[in-house]
Amino acid sequence: MKILVTDDSRVMRQIVIRTLRQAGYDDHDIIQAENGQEAFDLVGSEQPDLVLSDWNMPEMTGIECLEALRASGSQVPFGFVTSEGSPEMREKAANAGAIFLIAKPFNEDTFKDVLDGVIS
Amino acid sequence: MTVTEAQPISALLDPGTVQSIADEVWPSLVGDGEAFVPVPVPPSAELVSAWVDIIGPWTGSVVLTCAPATAEALTESVLMTRPPTVVDDEDVADALGELANVLGGNIKSVLPGESRLGLPQIGSAPSRGRLDDVCALVGQWRGNYLTITVQGAAPAPHAERNEVPQL
Repeated sequence: MKILVTDDSRVMRQIVIRTLRQAGYDDHDIIQAENGQEAFDLVGSEQPDLVLSDWNMPEMTGIECLEALRASGSQVPFGFVTSEGSPEMREKAANAGAIFLIAKPFNEDTFKDVLDGVIS
Repeated sequence: MTVTEAQPISALLDPGTVQSIADEVWPSLVGDGEAFVPVPVPPSAELVSAWVDIIGPWTGSVVLTCAPATAEALTESVLMTRPPTVVDDEDVADALGELANVLGGNIKSVLPGESRLGLPQIGSAPSRGRLDDVCALVGQWRGNYLTITVQGAAPAPHAERNEVPQL
């Protein structure tokens, strides 16, 4: 399985990848993007099986990326890993087609609870 | 036109709530068993700050401030680096900014109304607004002083008194 981790913070991408491994998802290919535009382009060229994305990023936000993907016909499974988890944002994410929203801070148990049905 | 003055942050947030958010952020981002311990002592003179702006019914910044050496140690802990690996300035800005970002996102979620969160910034802390529009929590991590300050934005110069007729 190929997982695309998108965050403008290299530190946070590293923490997400580390937490994926701690949660037991350590035998998957991980690719990275620094913003929504780069993620959009990588979905086209790399065909990931799952996108984990921050919300608030320069160039193109996570929600703009998701909306652009769905508008282009891509149905790649997409979930947010973001510092904001308000009910309004969860609703907006779900309406745009996101399958989950993990709020920071998180730990490996949070990842297991959310991703067990998503990552095979 | 009637202008309703926004409530100060001291009416919306108390240091206990900021502490409970820090209690979740430190073990998750800084490392297992790591803690932000509140203390009544101000931090040292040489400081670096990372912050995110909150724009909404309440507008201001969530600022994480510490000594440069503490910022470096926090970064090493967040990245789990071990000697001889060293962190560079870009890593420190990224890690401190992300800590401020996660603190800010969680503080935004306990404030009333819909708000927008800015991107992390690093440098000298932004200017404060009203004196009562501040909620500050001083603490220690591994004996190093840190401050989490939730502070209202300084008003734009003369913005409220501009009596020049619009053309």
